[in-house]
Amino acid sequence: MSVLRSIVASVRVGWYREFNWTNPLLGFSMRTVGPLAGVIAASSVYFVGSSAARSFSPSQLAFILIGAALYTHVAAYSWVPTLAIAEGKWTYVFPQVFISPHSSLPYLTGRTLASFFSSTLTVIVSLVLSFFILSSVFNTSIPFTVTPLSVTLLFFAMLVNILAAFGLGLLLSAYALFATKFEWALPTYVAGLLMVFSEALFPVSFLPHPVSDVANVLPFTEFMRASRQAMIQGGDVYSYFSYIGLATLGGVILLAMGFLAFRYAENRARRLGVIDKKTA
Amino acid sequence: MNVLDERLNDAPKIREDQPGLRNVMNRVDAEITVEVDGLRREFDSKEGKVTALDGVNLQVRKGEIFGVLGPNGAGKTTMIRILSTLLLPTSGKAGVMGFDVEKEPEKIRAVINMASGAERAGYDFISARGNLWFFSQLYGIPSEEAHKRINELSDMLGLQNYLDRKFYALSTGYKQRVTLVRAFINDPKVVFLDEPTIGLDVMTALSIREYILKQAKEHGRTILIATHNMAEVDAICNRVAIIDKGKILACDTPAALKRSLGAPSLVLEVSPVPAPASLEPLGKLDGVKGYTSSVDEERGLSRIQVVVDSDGSAQSVIDSVRKSGMTVVSNWRQQATLEEVFVALVGRGFREREHEAA
Amino acid sequence: MKLHSNPWLRTAYARLWVRAKSIYGEPLWVAVNVGFPFFTSFSFTMVYRAYGLGAYAGFAILGGVMISFWGNVLWSMASQFNWDKQVGLFEIYISSPAPITAILVGMSLGGILGTAPSAAMVAILGWVIFAPPIHPFWPAVVLVFSLTLASLYAMGMALSSLYLAYGREADSVNEALHEPVSLISGVYFPSVGGISPFPFAVQAAASLVPLTIGMDALRQSLGFPIKVAFIPLYIEALILALMALILLLASSRALRFLENKGRRTGSIAVRQR
Ligand SMILES: Nc1ncnc2c1ncn2[C@@H]1O[C@H](COP(=O)(O)OP(=O)(O)OP(=O)(O)O)[C@@H](O)[C@H]1O
Ligand SMILES: [Mg+2]
Repeated sequence: MSVLRSIVASVRVGWYREFNWTNPLLGFSMRTVGPLAGVIAASSVYFVGSSAARSFSPSQLAFILIGAALYTHVAAYSWVPTLAIAEGKWTYVFPQVFISPHSSLPYLTGRTLASFFSSTLTVIVSLVLSFFILSSVFNTSIPFTVTPLSVTLLFFAMLVNILAAFGLGLLLSAYALFATKFEWALPTYVAGLLMVFSEALFPVSFLPHPVSDVANVLPFTEFMRASRQAMIQGGDVYSYFSYIGLATLGGVILLAMGFLAFRYAENRARRLGVIDKKTA
Repeated sequence: MNVLDERLNDAPKIREDQPGLRNVMNRVDAEITVEVDGLRREFDSKEGKVTALDGVNLQVRKGEIFGVLGPNGAGKTTMIRILSTLLLPTSGKAGVMGFDVEKEPEKIRAVINMASGAERAGYDFISARGNLWFFSQLYGIPSEEAHKRINELSDMLGLQNYLDRKFYALSTGYKQRVTLVRAFINDPKVVFLDEPTIGLDVMTALSIREYILKQAKEHGRTILIATHNMAEVDAICNRVAIIDKGKILACDTPAALKRSLGAPSLVLEVSPVPAPASLEPLGKLDGVKGYTSSVDEERGLSRIQVVVDSDGSAQSVIDSVRKSGMTVVSNWRQQATLEEVFVALVGRGFREREHEAA
Repeated sequence: MKLHSNPWLRTAYARLWVRAKSIYGEPLWVAVNVGFPFFTSFSFTMVYRAYGLGAYAGFAILGGVMISFWGNVLWSMASQFNWDKQVGLFEIYISSPAPITAILVGMSLGGILGTAPSAAMVAILGWVIFAPPIHPFWPAVVLVFSLTLASLYAMGMALSSLYLAYGREADSVNEALHEPVSLISGVYFPSVGGISPFPFAVQAAASLVPLTIGMDALRQSLGFPIKVAFIPLYIEALILALMALILLLASSRALRFLENKGRRTGSIAVRQR
C-alpha cells in the first residue's frame, strides 16, 4: 500500500503548504477573509438589486449565500494540482515527484485532499460568519436549516463533489504539465466559467438555450442543488439524493476524463521535455 | 587615511612572472579606487551575533583585478554588498572612487556596477537585448549608445546570436553572459563580481575570464572579484586578499604569496583512508604549517597535502605517517598553489573550513 | 559624464516598456486576462437581471473593468518588489543610480497600458450583451477615470513599500486583500451613497479606500441610476487627486526609509549566496 503512503505524505506536505504560517490564527483569518468578502459581495449585489426592484426574498438570499460560499470552495481547491505542478517546476519538487515509483498522481491527490480540508474549514467559517453578518445588516432572517442531518448531508455533498473537482483539477493540470505559459492564469479563467455555469449565483436556466443545457448537467451544478436542498428550508431528501446521484455520475465521468487527459499529457510532456522546465 | 598594510607595500610593483598582465597598471602610485578601512559588519541571527567582516583593510587601484579569496562564509559577499551600496558597515569605512558608501551612495552608484554568479536576474518574457536595454536605461544611457554597447560587449562573450531570444529560453551559461554584459553596460569605473564563473563549464569560464581581463586592461576598470576558485584568482587577478572568518590573512600577488611558502609542499597518498582525527597529530609536527586531505573514493585512498617549511620537515612527515601504521602508497613534492597558501595561513584547507562551518 | 542624461525619464520609460512588452508580446494574454473579470461581472449582471433590476447591469460591468485594474495593482505592483527581490532584480535597482520613484511610476503606467486592452474588452462585451442604460458626461468620465487610476496605482506603490517591510507573505496578503477591498469599495454595487446596503460607519470607513471614491465618481459621471449621490462629483475628483498625491509622497518616503533600513539590516538582497 505504498500508494496510500505517498498520498498521506502528500496530504501532509499540502497541509504545511496551506498553513505555512508563523501564527496559525492569523494565517487562518487571512485565508478566510477572502471567501467571506466574496459571499458578502454576492449577497450585497442581490440585496441592492432586489431592494430597488422591491422583490427581496430571504430564501433567494439563502440561495446566493450558499452558492457563493460553495463556489469559492470548489474554486479554491480544484486548481491545487495545477499550482502544485507549476510551483513544483520552479522548486524542482515536481520533477522529483514525477520520477518517483508511483509518479505524480498520488502526490496531486494528496495535495488536493489537503486543500479540500483547509478550504472546507474556511468556507464553513465564512458561511457561518456571513449568515450572522447579513442577517443583521440586511435585517432579515435567512431560512437555513441547521440540523445534524442537514449539516451531514452538506458535508456528504462536498465529499461527493471531490470527484468532479479533482477531475477538473486533473484536466487543468494536464495542461500545466506540458504548458510553458498561461498555466498560472488558466485556473482563474476556468474559475470564472464555473461561476457562470454552476448555478452559483443565479439559476442556469437564465442562460441562453444551448448553453443552459450544458450548465444543467455539470456535476458542479448538481452539487450546488443538492447542497441547497440540504441547507435551505423547504428542501427535501428525495431531491437531495437525486441531485447527489447526478453529481456522482457527472463527477465520475469528469474524473475519468481528467485521468485520461492527464495520462496523455504526461506522455506529451515527456516528449516535449518540459516536465522539469521552469516557466514564469 | 593611511590604511596600506605592510604586506601591501611590499608587493612587487610589476609582475614579471605573468607577461599577459604586464600592461595592467599595478603601481603603488596609481589612483586608489576602492578603499576599505577597519571595516566591520555584524548580523543579528537566531543564534546570536554573526561577525561577517571583522576589521578589514584594503586598497585597490585603478585598472586592477583584485581577488577576494576565501571559503564559504568567509565574508566575501558581505564585502561586495557593502561596496556596492546594498549594505551598511557596522563600523569602519569603505569608499569607492573617493566616495563614502555610507554618506554618498548615489555618487557611487553612478560609477559602479555589480553582478553575481548566483543571480539570474532578468524579465523572462523579454528578449536578452530588451533586458540589457532596460538595464542600460537605469543609468540614463541614450538608446543608440546603449545598443552599441550591448553589441560590443555581447560580441566579446559570444552572445550576439542569442540576443533576440526570450530571457527564460536562455541556458544558464547564456543567462550568466547576459548578467556579465549588464555588469559593464554603464561604462563603470569599478565593477564588483561575486563568483562570476560559478556553475559554468570550463570553456565558458575561460571565455568569461578573458572578457574580465580585457575590461580591466583596455578600459582601465577596477574589478573586484569574490571567489573561492583558486584557479580563477591565479589566472586573472593582479592581487588577491585571502579572507577567512571575516579577516584578511594575507594580501599580495598570487605569485608572491606562493613564493612566500618557501619549500614545495608534500603530497601523500595513503591507504586505508584514515579517520580525520587520526591525521590531527600531523598539524603539530615541527615544520608543518598545515595540511588538508581529500578522499579518492575510486582508488580507496586518501590524499594529504602538507605545507612544510623545508625538505627536512617533509621527510619527517613521511616518517611519522609511516610510523602511525598507514601505508604511504606514493608521495611527491609539488609547486605550491593558493590552496596551500591558505593552508599555511589557517592550518587547514577550504574543505575542512567549510565543513567546520556547516 | 555625458552618458548620464535624465535618468528619471529614461528609467520610467524603460520600466513601462518592459511591463507593457511582456503583455503585448503575447497577445493571447489579453484573452486570458479578460476571463475572470468578464465572467464575474457577467454573473453579477445576471444576478441583477434575474432577481430585480436589469438597469443596474452597468454596476457589474463597470466592476469587471475596474477589478481588472485592482487585480493588476495587487499582483503586479504591490508584490512586485518582493518578486524582484527573489530573482535578484531589486538589488540591481538599488545599486543603480535609478530613482526608485521612476521605477514605480514606469511600472504603474506599464501596468495600466497592459491592463487596458482586457479591461476594454470587458467593457465592450458587457455593453454589447447587456446594453445598460447610461447617460455619460464624457469629459468628467475621462477625468474621473484617470484620477481613479492614479490614486489606485499610488495605493499600489504604498502597498509595495509595506510589503517590502513585512516581506515574505506578500502573496497571501494579496489574496486576503483582493476580495475584501473589492467588497467595501463597492466594485459590483454601490457601497456608499443612497442605495448602499451598508450602515453609515462602514460607508465612512470604506471611503478611505481610493477605489471606493473612484467607483462612486465613475458611477456618477457615467450617469448610472443612483438615487442619491454620496458626495458631489467635483469633490470626489478633488479627494481622488489628493489621495493620489499623498499616497505617492508617502510611498516614496517609505521606500527611501526602507532602503536605508534594508542597508542597515542586510535585507535588500535575499540571502541566496
Ligand atoms: N543577511 C544576513 N543575515 C545574517 N547573517 C548573514 C547575512 N549575510 C551574511 N551573513 C553571515 O555572514 C557570514 C559571511 O557571509 P558571506 O555571505 O559574506 O560569506 P561568503 O564569503 O560570501 O561565502 P560564500 O562563499 O558561501 O558565498 C556568514 O556566516 C553568513 O551566515
Ligand atoms: Mg558569497
